[in-house]
Parts: sequence; structure tokens; C-alpha cells
Amino acid sequence: MATRSIVILVIIAAIALAVPPFLPRSVVDLLVFSCIYSIAGLGVGLLLGQCGIANLGQSVFYALGAYATAYMTVTLGVGAAWGFLTGVILSGLIALVIGWPVLRLTGHFLALATLALGIVANALFYEWDWLTHGSLGFGGIPKLNIFGLVIDTPLRFYYLAGAVLALCLLASANLIGSRTGLMLRAMRDAPEAAKSLGVNAQWLRTRIFILSAIFGSIAGSLFAHYGSFVNVQSFGIEKAIAFLIIPVLGGATSLPGVVIGALFTTLVPEMLTRFGDLHQVLFGLTLMATVVLMPSGLMGGLASLSRYMTARGRA
Amino acid sequence: MRRIDRTRLVAAASGLALLGVVGPVAAQTNASDPIKIGVILPLTGAGAGLGIPSRNGILLAEKQINAAGGIKGRKIKVVIEDDTTNPDAALNKANNLIFGEKVVALVGPIQTANTVAVGGITAPVKFPQVALGGLGPAVELERKCVFHAAPPQNQNARAMLAYAKSLGVKNAAALYDSGYGTVVWNQLSKFAGEYGIKFGVTEKFEIAATDTTPQAAKIRASQPDAIFVIGVTGVPVRAIRQLQMKQPIIAAIGQATYEIVKSMGDAAEGVVFPEFLVPEDPLPHQKAFVDAYKAEYGRAPKSIESIAYDALKAMSQAIGKAGPEAGNEAICAAMRGPYSGNSTEYDFSAPDMTGIKLNGFIYSKLVGGHFNRLPFKNAE
Repeated sequence: MATRSIVILVIIAAIALAVPPFLPRSVVDLLVFSCIYSIAGLGVGLLLGQCGIANLGQSVFYALGAYATAYMTVTLGVGAAWGFLTGVILSGLIALVIGWPVLRLTGHFLALATLALGIVANALFYEWDWLTHGSLGFGGIPKLNIFGLVIDTPLRFYYLAGAVLALCLLASANLIGSRTGLMLRAMRDAPEAAKSLGVNAQWLRTRIFILSAIFGSIAGSLFAHYGSFVNVQSFGIEKAIAFLIIPVLGGATSLPGVVIGALFTTLVPEMLTRFGDLHQVLFGLTLMATVVLMPSGLMGGLASLSRYMTARGRA
Repeated sequence: MRRIDRTRLVAAASGLALLGVVGPVAAQTNASDPIKIGVILPLTGAGAGLGIPSRNGILLAEKQINAAGGIKGRKIKVVIEDDTTNPDAALNKANNLIFGEKVVALVGPIQTANTVAVGGITAPVKFPQVALGGLGPAVELERKCVFHAAPPQNQNARAMLAYAKSLGVKNAAALYDSGYGTVVWNQLSKFAGEYGIKFGVTEKFEIAATDTTPQAAKIRASQPDAIFVIGVTGVPVRAIRQLQMKQPIIAAIGQATYEIVKSMGDAAEGVVFPEFLVPEDPLPHQKAFVDAYKAEYGRAPKSIESIAYDALKAMSQAIGKAGPEAGNEAICAAMRGPYSGNSTEYDFSAPDMTGIKLNGFIYSKLVGGHFNRLPFKNAE
């Protein structure tokens, strides 16, 4: 990694660690959601950026993580770790079973298949109220307790979720930088050539789909502990779209872009609520403007800006 | 030099962005400042049909309280936040109102999910809150500072069953949606036996369904004595009448709004609702509210507006009783007890945190697009 990149990374990490204690609680709360959504969005970003797959089913795994945590901690009364673990195993298995046949599809057929997965799962979450508590939802999910420290304020949760996000980013960076990452990009950019070199495209895609599902599940479990409540309304198709927007907006091939995308999708709507009923329209227009003006995402836009300023400076 | 300029630029941009997010710092409070009460409502999204009328009821209550001198000489100021019908957003708005705006109490949200999510913040610090929906999951029974201005779903179900029993209904059918409808249906099925009613065909439909004819057709085949309809749109009632089914329809309070009734068209004729306010024929104590509402907004209010109006008035009364600076627990304690609302008689010390009795319901029947108050009254 270049020295410049390391310096930027250190500065960003220092800001992320030092500034939140001085921010209002409601802003820290938004940062918590940014971290949680970044983790879920990271999974979608890996699929989109590295495999070229538009996944509209991430809300399913997000829900599985949340419900697994709710069921294990509230109904069975076992420790939080069991909730995380159950969610991850369940999500991984379902991703394997569904991903293997579905990931044979390509392009918009694949996107539609993942959308169908989200719709079907949401209907089941409503129907299976013996398991999900349907419209009433699961309440009383305990706050996380790590070595005696109860994570019961947005600030504490921010540091926890931030740490989990950092680990997920690190794992993803390692993956992208590895031989597997190279195969993924080869498969995305030149599928026939990759196949001729012995890359098993379907199994590779399935593995990333499983990883994406695991990230979604971890995010869902964190969400359940943070809000202490899960309800089917939190896992609708609009959530799946939000998770897809995050990497699209930030820059699908960029890991920091996912974080920027998540910050954008949590902070900007909040800022726009000051405009009352118009805020959703304004957010839509902002999204459109961003995508049109920065087709390679916010990270791509920032990179272009940096290049422009450097060139101007030289001139 | 170039490097320094760029750094300055980034710092300035970050600062501006941060200011945009953080917003103005809340001013220090003193005795002459208005007492701030936070309100969280779904003003956009799927719940806006409930949130917007509720806001009207709350603003009318604020106006009347201030016109009458406020609380102990201090005016009140409601700070309204839109939860966009999203529990995650409701959580954030509650954090902002309680810890940012430093409101002394909360009114809202309406939806169960949003209320329970916000209760996760208010309950641990015993922050006084009146939700505008009924009691939700069991965890809410432990939250002794989260009061409810609307009846719990078991009371809604019993109110519907009691009326059906008065009609001599033995075999009933139910058509309910996958959200609110399912919650009420669970209670209907639980208590039906107590009222001597047996449910035959019961059909569920998606909340956003625009056609429920297939479900209605199955009900038609079973020839029930009456049909219970629970949803938040006029779609199921329309489907029933389009299939020429003449049985009485008993619908839940959530559909008793002018907008939904209008969407039912001619199919609305004869539908009965257990609810709390019939503006065409209000109870004597409700007349002043109906007149004031009409004068303010140029249209008649319904139960939703009345419940929201009651919620703010009840909370303001509790703040007045405890004192605005008395603290969370004292205001909660002042809130616990009977309250004569415009909608009905409450007892916020009841285990269900609302205390609405069955005889507190009134019944309306739609005739020619207008709500007509029925003489039927439950014995408690």
C-alpha cells in the first residue's frame, strides 16, 4: 500500500475513533446504522463489484441474522454468540442451497431471481408468525455484554459495529487481493477466458454469495441487539434495494466506497427530512444526480476530483 | 503550498458536512421557555394515512393548551419528527428528541414496530411516552412508562365480537391483511368461543393487495352469518360487495376513516365499526372537539385524530401535575391513573397501559357515505 494511502487511512481511522464522542446522540445513532448497513452492503458490493451480480436478496440474510438472534436470546434464552452463530450457519446454508442453482443465471434474470427470493422470504416472515412473531415482532432482545461491558449506548455500539466493520473490510480486502480475487475479476471481465483457464465460475460465485449472506447475517444480528426489537417491517424489499444502492452509490469495486455509500444513504435522508414531505423526492433526485454525475460511484467521483485538482495544481 | 490548500479545502468541506448533519445546538432551557414535547409520527411512507390526521389532532391540542395558558404558565411546543413509517428511523428520531432536543415527554409513534423500537430507548430511562397505537408484544407489558392511547388488539377483537353476538351471528368468516389484520385476527380467533361464534372460512391477503376477490369468493361459498374485515384499505370490503354478498360486515377501527370509506364507494353501505368518534353524531362531550377541529381544518375528525388529541392532552396534564422539571419518573407516575379523554375513558395505570374498557367503544354504521352512531353499547 502506498504511503499516501496509509496516511489517509490513519487519518480517517483517527477521525472515526475520536470524533463520535463529541457528536449528538442522534448522529452517533446514524453512524451505528451506517456501520451496520456497511457490513450488509459490503456483501452486496463484493457480489456486484467482483462478480458482476446484482443481489436484491440481501434483506433475507439480514433478517435471518436478526431473527436468529431474537429467537436464540429471547425464546431460548441462550447467549448472544449463539444468535450470531446460528444466523451465520443458517444464512450460509441457505445461500448455498439457493445460490447453487440460481447463480447459473446471468444478468437481469439473476437480479430478478434474487428479487424473488427477497419477496418470497418477506411473505414467509409475515406468515410464520409462530417463529418471527409476524407483525408484532420480537421484543426484549438483550443488549450485548462483552466481558462485563454492556453495550447499551449508541456510542458504545458504534465502536463495536465499527470494529466488526473493520474486520469485514479487512477480510474482503484480503479476498480481493488474493488468487481468488484475481479469479473473480477474470470471471467478471472475461468469463470465457477464465473458464478456459479452469476457473469454476459457478462454485466461485456461490462462495462469494455465501460470504455475502454471512455479512448480511452478522449485520442483522447487530441490528437486533442494537434496537432490542425486530419486526418484519425492517426486512422488506426496500431494505434489499437500500443494500444494493450502497455499493452502487459508493462505487461497487471499492471497499471504502461501500462505507461512503452507507454513510450517504443514512445521513442524507436524515438531513433532507428538514424539507418535510418532499424529502423522499429530494433523496431520489440526489441519488439520480449522484449516479448520473458520478457513474463510477462517489469513490470514483472523489478520485476524479483528486486527479483534476492535481492536474490543475501542476498546470 | 498546494498540499496545504487541499487539506484546508477537505477540512472546510468536512466541517460544513458535519454542521449540516449536526444542525444548530439546542439552547439552554429556562423557566420562560416553552415546554418541549416530542412527537414521532409516520408523516410519509405507508403509515402517512394515520400520521397526518394524528398530527392535526396533536396540533389542535397544542393550540388549545397554549390558549388556555399552557402548563403552569409556560407554553408547550410540540417538536414533530417523521419516522417515515420505518422503525429504524423512529429509533433515530427518538434519540434526537430525547437527547438532542431535550423534550420532557414523547407522543407516538403509531405503528407497533416503531413503538416497540422507541420503547427500547425510553423504557430503560423511564422516559414518559404515549404511543398512539395499542399494546404490542409481551415485552411492552414490562415497560411501565410507555402508555397507549389506543386500545390493545384483544379489546378491538372483543368489541367486534360483542357486536356480532348482538346480531345473533354463530358462523362467521374473516378477511384480514398480513399486517395489522393478522394481529387482530389472532385475538378474534382466541376469543370467538366466549361469544358463541365459530369462524369457518378465514382468508388472509397482502397489506398492499389491490384485489381480494379470490379470497372473498372462498368466503362467499361458505355462506357465513357475518364477515369480519380487518385491514387498512377499502379493497376487501369492495371485493365482498362486488360478489353480491349481503352479509353484515364488521370492520376494525383502522378502516374507520373518511379516506378509506370513500375508497370503498357504494360497497361501504352498512359496514359497522367499533370505534370512538362519530362526528356526524358526537357524544355530548365530544362536540366541542368536533367543532374546534372543523373550524381549524375545515373537515370532520375521526377516531385517529381524537386519539392523538387525547394523547397530547393526557401527557400535558401529567406534566402539569408533576411539574415540567420533575423528571421522567415523576411524570410517568403522574400519568398513571384515570383520564377522561375526548375519545373514551382511559386508565393509564391498567396492566395494558391504556385501560380502555369495552363499554368505552361506540359503534358506527355507514349509511350514504356517512357514519351513523348506533345505539348498541357493550356492558363491561
